[in-house]
Amino acid sequence: MKTTELLQTGLEIDERWQIANASYDAPRRQFDVRITETTGRGGWFSQPKSATSASERHVWRHVNLGTRRCYVHLSVTPGQLPADQPWSGERNMPFTHALSRQIATLLVHGVKLQAICSLLDISLTDLWKLKYNLESGKTRLASMPAASPSPEPNTEVARIAGGGGVPDTADPVWAKLLDGSINIDIRFLNLKLLLTKLREQMRVIDDNEVRMLKVCEIQRYFEQNKLRLKHELLQLASAG
Amino acid sequence: MAIEEGLMGIVEAAELIRSGKYLSIAGDERVLKQLPTGNWIGGTIPYFMADQGGVVTREQVYVNEIGTFSESPLIRFYGLETLPKLCRNAPENGYSLVIVPGFSDVHSSFARNAPNYDEMYMKPLIGWVAGTHLDDLGKVTPKVVHGQTGQFSDQMAVVMDVPLPKEKYAHIDIVNLFTQGQGDDITFNDTGFSASDCLINGKPANFSEYLTSKGIDTRLPLVADYSGAMVNVSIKDNVSAEKHVDFYAPVFPGTTYRIAAPVGDYIAAFQAALPPMNTTLAFSCNCILNYLYCELDGKRTGKVKGPITFGEIGYQLLNQTLVYLTIEG
Repeated sequence: MKTTELLQTGLEIDERWQIANASYDAPRRQFDVRITETTGRGGWFSQPKSATSASERHVWRHVNLGTRRCYVHLSVTPGQLPADQPWSGERNMPFTHALSRQIATLLVHGVKLQAICSLLDISLTDLWKLKYNLESGKTRLASMPAASPSPEPNTEVARIAGGGGVPDTADPVWAKLLDGSINIDIRFLNLKLLLTKLREQMRVIDDNEVRMLKVCEIQRYFEQNKLRLKHELLQLASAG
Repeated sequence: MAIEEGLMGIVEAAELIRSGKYLSIAGDERVLKQLPTGNWIGGTIPYFMADQGGVVTREQVYVNEIGTFSESPLIRFYGLETLPKLCRNAPENGYSLVIVPGFSDVHSSFARNAPNYDEMYMKPLIGWVAGTHLDDLGKVTPKVVHGQTGQFSDQMAVVMDVPLPKEKYAHIDIVNLFTQGQGDDITFNDTGFSASDCLINGKPANFSEYLTSKGIDTRLPLVADYSGAMVNVSIKDNVSAEKHVDFYAPVFPGTTYRIAAPVGDYIAAFQAALPPMNTTLAFSCNCILNYLYCELDGKRTGKVKGPITFGEIGYQLLNQTLVYLTIEG
């Protein structure tokens, strides 16, 4: 198998697309993979033909190849941006769908932003852009195909976050608290402000996975402050 | 050992600084410039709530000693680029005391964006907005001071991160005498310190025209209910000729505001709303608008003392609100 074919397989690029060019910049520790549309296949011995009319160009940061950064450069016919490819991304967003999903999984597991930046070698500005767009309902994880199957987020998070008198993230009480179906008397200013912010965000987020991020955020607050939140936790217990 | 707090002269304040204590100091710029370097942060303001009641002085400073434990507090400046890291850099257990120069870009940025900072609401954040004597508005800029270097800034916020031992925790709360009145629901489409278009009970309207036509007393703030916490946005000016209204804090889309219900006797209402008498306040500040509108000059607000500020910070920017910090546990 040629190197390009290996890369094509590794990046899960199907036959509708092709790698026009791939390079590695050693000082920057960075792969750049240029992908174009395949306009069709010729006879038995011919190679796929590249689209010559492509004019819309995008660059996204993709999942790292080992410890090296990987950027995908896509040239595509205007209006034909693929929504179903893990190596592709959304317009004006910094990351491919696959990397966005990887980041979301870390967020769900309570990994702090700075740690995510260190782990994945990404910039905080780009991470904020993704987070802001997810939280304001401008982008959705549901539309992002994963590079490889990932565990059901609810199950995984519930296993990690459970215990200690605070309902785990799979408990429906959190969703009810965040969508306003239940209201509790709160004694702490920061919880009042946090809950209000999360409720505002939940109103515009229709993606279940992103909503789960918000559940994790409020659950993490309760977990961190559980010794002081008996009054609030008792109300959650009776409401659940 | 008793914690030092109160209005004092330059000599007394300088003595405290030289003793190595960690301090938060509020005062007129000319007085702050006479203080030596040391473990302190400062902000400009000549209005205070002191033992004798509300007072304005350009000769004295208000000093709050910051209680310290085994780990020393950390003092640093934050500019526009670094401000979003404010909460992330805060101690895992402790609190941060921030002073922001009024009318600066960091003031505006903090007001708009603080609710979305990483770790916001997870770590206690209290503070205030530095100002000037009202006679000096537009002539001098409000400033903050990094006491360890002696540097003054009208463009950066200064922060003291105060770590606490694991058995203690910082609790921040507010006293806001204003509640939502019985009037219309008001919403805005955009975040901003100024607004023209709004929705009144869901119907498009011009907010300036609305205030004028209803004859609303603009000393009353807009009030939003944040899950039980009443959060004010004070009205700075109804520029009716240009049909827009300026605010002292931004309004946010998706938040429902109402004009506040009037407060009859401010002092009596304040006394009733104060934290219990046995509570020891580690820090507190109140709003210049409360000082002006409620005519607090010479009047006491219980045992609550501290600078009278151009904005209060209880996690996010607040208006016409008393903010206080207690160390519990």
